[in-house]
Amino acid sequence: MTDQTKVVMRLEGAADLHRIGVYEAHGGYAALRKAILEMKPGEVIAEVKASGLRGKGGAGFPAGLKWSFVPQDHPGPKYLACNADEGEPGTFKDRWIVERNPHAMIEGCIICAYAVGLSHIYVYCRGEFYEGKRKLEQAAREAYEKGYLGENILGSGFSTHLTVHTGAGSYECGEETALLTSLEGGRGHPKIKPPFPASQGAWRKPTVINNVETLATVPDIIGHGSAWHAGMGTEKSKGVKMVSISGHVERPGIYEVQFGVPVSGVISDLAGGMWKGHKLKGFFPGGSSTPILGADKVGIPYDYESIAEAGSMLGSGAVIVFDETTDVVRMAEIITRFYAWESCGKCTPCREGTRWMLQIYERILNGGGRLEDLDLLLSICDHLVFKSFCPFGDAAVGVVSSTINLYRDEYEAYIREHKVYRRRFTPVKH
Amino acid sequence: MTERVHLHPELHKWVKARLDRYPTRRSLLVPTLLEASKYQDYVSPGVMYAIAELLEVPASEVMSVAGFYTLVPKHPVGKHLIQVCHNISCHLREGDEIIAHLEDQLGIKVGETTEDGRFSLLTVECLAACGSAPVMMVDEELYENVTPELISRVLGEIN
Repeated sequence: MTDQTKVVMRLEGAADLHRIGVYEAHGGYAALRKAILEMKPGEVIAEVKASGLRGKGGAGFPAGLKWSFVPQDHPGPKYLACNADEGEPGTFKDRWIVERNPHAMIEGCIICAYAVGLSHIYVYCRGEFYEGKRKLEQAAREAYEKGYLGENILGSGFSTHLTVHTGAGSYECGEETALLTSLEGGRGHPKIKPPFPASQGAWRKPTVINNVETLATVPDIIGHGSAWHAGMGTEKSKGVKMVSISGHVERPGIYEVQFGVPVSGVISDLAGGMWKGHKLKGFFPGGSSTPILGADKVGIPYDYESIAEAGSMLGSGAVIVFDETTDVVRMAEIITRFYAWESCGKCTPCREGTRWMLQIYERILNGGGRLEDLDLLLSICDHLVFKSFCPFGDAAVGVVSSTINLYRDEYEAYIREHKVYRRRFTPVKH
Repeated sequence: MTERVHLHPELHKWVKARLDRYPTRRSLLVPTLLEASKYQDYVSPGVMYAIAELLEVPASEVMSVAGFYTLVPKHPVGKHLIQVCHNISCHLREGDEIIAHLEDQLGIKVGETTEDGRFSLLTVECLAACGSAPVMMVDEELYENVTPELISRVLGEIN
């Protein structure tokens, strides 16, 4: 039986948790007091390092290590960019945090700012999160009023500020360097690395960029200690993860589990099993950008290493489940259309490759596909992977190559029989 | 030549109140474009020129940035904007039927505006509410587990 281990979602049931009084009544901001009043900045970083906390936005990079890359002796301002630009299809955990538990994230932000010596926190919030932005702005005002933000926080001499910044509808801006370009007032184009944001980030100043869920986990790590956190999960994937599960399951939703629980347990014990009693055909383990795994892989443990070994990625922790009735060619077309639309256009392989792939999918679904199209698609995949400017190109090909490898016969059936997909609506051309 | 547009005084105030949060004026560009759409029907070239002047950014840069972001309306849209998700998790929960139903009810296709100018219908990418798919947004309000009945009710309640 797979159970949840709630950390960020521990207070899920508390009414009005987004209000600072409620959050404090449940122990909120005690970790901030402990960090600022009892610990040195270096001790906070050491604690987060020892906890094994890894970035929960997609890359899984060790958070404490990232913090330690920021030069301590750098003169002038340094920044924290909190990535609340949640847009990976299938992912909906950060929306819950910013709308329902924003103070956990803000407290984590302030602890990070204290540990690394950051003078301003920018929360880059997805433009479509109207409710989320209102909640974040209210939460920030409350934190200022209580003296957790602003000058001389809790009388410690440490000062930092927080600004909620809005995006305006661009998936690419979730990529860390594109987020910075957008924050600076530009088109959401990624920047070359190195220099890495830790040395030259926003406005060319040292910048830490962390995901909402990562930062929201920090207060509990400081509160309970690194050993508590490191004691959960697996040897290399320590701690917990909010899993967004959607698609063909009975109870789609967010479930917070320790790394290492079996995917099958998340699907059957937590999400109530397959929708309408259908059979599992396959699943995306970490969002639309991660290669699909077939039903035979459903027993694998949900941790970074096991999923990588199975040929995919844990990504943002979004499990999208589909049953035997699913038309995988149409599914791949939907996701390819998404990447073609969202490609920022900066580099040629991604800008051109995603559009060509979409054209080929439209041709196949309209009954005009050619058998050589499958090899053509795979060859375009090869031209995107590791050849695009940022990880977007890799993200765009996961569904294409994995569906051709796993379900080639379904593609061939479309092509050989000149089968035409009956659309319920016509997507807008772009 | 593009006509001269005077930005709403409230927008001026809004920008002024935020300038000291950033090291550069330009940093406010994306939020300002979004905020401007609340005071104007859409962000026309004239509005972009005025924003360029206000934030001391070249007008060509403002147009380039405005063009990049889908939430900045660059042409007139209906009084109410219906954005329905066409991405994977909604598709798996029969979202295509919901899109078709919206087209039927409104008598328009995706990407169009009703003749009376009340509604524009657009499909959008994942709205990050996949646990309650299918979903749609009407103006700033999110609707989850959308059914034909819910659509009739929502369209009926909006004037």
